[in-house]
Amino acid sequence: MEAIVAEEPQNISTPEAGAPSPVRRHASIWGVARDVLLHRPTGMLGFLLLVVFGLMALFGPMLYPEHLATDPFNAFAAPSWSHPLGTDFDGTDTLALIVTGSRYVLLSAFLAGFFTAAFGSVTGLTAGYFLGLGDSLLMKVADFVLTIPAFPLLVVLSTIWKFGDPVSMGLVLGIIGWGALARAIRAQVLSLRERTFIEAARGLGFSSFHIITREILPNLGSYIAMKFLLAVTGAMYASVGLFFLGVLPFKVNNWGVMLNFAFTQSGAMYTPKALPYLLSPLCAILLVTLGVVLFLDAVDEILNPRLRRR
Amino acid sequence: MGYNARRGPTGSLEVAAVRGFLFRVARRLVAALVMIWAVATFTFFLIRLMPGDPVLAKMVELEQTGMPEEQAKAQVSSMYGFIPHDPLPVQYVHYLWQLCHFDLGVSIAYSGQPVTTIIWSALPYTLGLVLTGIIVTFIFGVIGGVFAAIKRDSWIGGSLSIVGSILHGVPQFMVAVLLVYFLAALHPIFPIGAPYDITISPGLNLHFLSNVAWHAVLPIAAFVISGFGFWALAMKGSVVTTLGDDFILASELRGIKPSIRFRYIARNAFLPLFTYLAIAIGYSFGGAIFIEKIFDYPGLGNLLNNSLASYDYPVMQAAFLMITVAVIISNIVAEVLYTFIDPRIRTGIS
Repeated sequence: MEAIVAEEPQNISTPEAGAPSPVRRHASIWGVARDVLLHRPTGMLGFLLLVVFGLMALFGPMLYPEHLATDPFNAFAAPSWSHPLGTDFDGTDTLALIVTGSRYVLLSAFLAGFFTAAFGSVTGLTAGYFLGLGDSLLMKVADFVLTIPAFPLLVVLSTIWKFGDPVSMGLVLGIIGWGALARAIRAQVLSLRERTFIEAARGLGFSSFHIITREILPNLGSYIAMKFLLAVTGAMYASVGLFFLGVLPFKVNNWGVMLNFAFTQSGAMYTPKALPYLLSPLCAILLVTLGVVLFLDAVDEILNPRLRRR
Repeated sequence: MGYNARRGPTGSLEVAAVRGFLFRVARRLVAALVMIWAVATFTFFLIRLMPGDPVLAKMVELEQTGMPEEQAKAQVSSMYGFIPHDPLPVQYVHYLWQLCHFDLGVSIAYSGQPVTTIIWSALPYTLGLVLTGIIVTFIFGVIGGVFAAIKRDSWIGGSLSIVGSILHGVPQFMVAVLLVYFLAALHPIFPIGAPYDITISPGLNLHFLSNVAWHAVLPIAAFVISGFGFWALAMKGSVVTTLGDDFILASELRGIKPSIRFRYIARNAFLPLFTYLAIAIGYSFGGAIFIEKIFDYPGLGNLLNNSLASYDYPVMQAAFLMITVAVIISNIVAEVLYTFIDPRIRTGIS
């Protein structure tokens, strides 16, 4: 395998016209997406769920005042028209808590998914394409990251770095979570780089950068997108879990803070009336997960060049 | 290829295979040691980076009580395993040296207690919880997965798959919170908050062990319920893949009894699951932090949590190190087990 890299021709001039890539774009990606979603009701449902939660995170907090109203005489009220999900231990509307808490959870989870996908893809592509010493070093680091149990590490890290804001949270989860994706992508690049179309691109004298980004990456696009979505759900569990544990200072309301209050402070665990309050964050998490799972198959069909309808 | 490869117990290939196996195990062990060293180094520098430098703070605090500097230095050094005023490399070597002798310093919160004692008293609970949890989950998941695959055209298989997918999407801590809510807080059916009744004195008798098991039911149930979906889906996928293999079709055409054919399928579908075992082990040890906090179970995870709240850095460092070491060792065991089970890897012929 090393020999092929070494034989990269230097004297052939780079052709102006691009070589035919195995990915042909017959229609725009949006057109394909629309077709796929219209043919797949489950994918459409997942997509709509994600859109609803996305809009909730973007605009939801604007609907409520900064400090939500409390009503101690109306604690743990049953669901009603004025409080669709009941109230919490202070009499605050649970729906308002879910909506205002969604922004932090979903933004940090989205960023974590982005960083995980970015770190994992860059590492996996570089290691798998160039091989050699850099490859074995990168994979050693990946194995190291993979072995350390993530939650204990996050808990210990929280003592020196209060990574409570969404960007830091996303970054930390990305730094901890890229290992598995890097390994998987490297494995796929190892098989892709031996295909004839890559050899052809190399023979035509394209730069390594061009081959990786234009020839190899499009073939991994759907895989990376799916792993991104799964990383988003994983990061959602992680950030909610960390706030639930209470190792990070509570700056803004989020679903993890809700669970923490429900479990530790409010006595909600000892009254059957608290069930709607306890179940609300859980159902929100489950609905986002459901949206991701249903949307996954459609994503594969939209982005995978081999599955695409012609 | 397998038929002529085995030349009996004295065959050269056999010896080479065993040697290759031992070599791989040895290489894994070396890698594990390097890993443990790396984690130990990481925690060392982490403690140095902590806000307000707890080591120096403790020393100043001791000096303010009137303790001579030399004595304060000696006490802090025994507490943390390194001396704050020494240059970093000296501290580091000192720390590693103490670590090699299983000396992890003295706890701050439980004043005077060696960290090693605290760790040893917590370790059995975490190991018991996590390993039982993994084994029970594995068994249930595999059985559920086989069922879901074989009955996949009937409603039983379909609903098993759906239940698996839903459970797979529920975070572990939510399962645990709901279990506590329904089965311990609202309806006190199961005990929480201790590993056994305080009226019972620990000992190796049936009464004590059954009490410990009774107290562990809910935490283990949390592991099993949240992990079931993953194993069931993985096993179902593996069985369905195996069903499409040529040798299954061949055995069907040859009229081999369904019960024997089932054994063929199960043995082959079983193998890939072992590769997931290593990942599941790491995940379970991490999850123990939540399970132990929610059920107030005195294992390593709870120790880590509590040490954080009380700024007990020596205990925190040791608990994190032990959890990681437990994961590393479990990974090696899983890998060796896998090598042992899969004849293709065991003999090194592929």
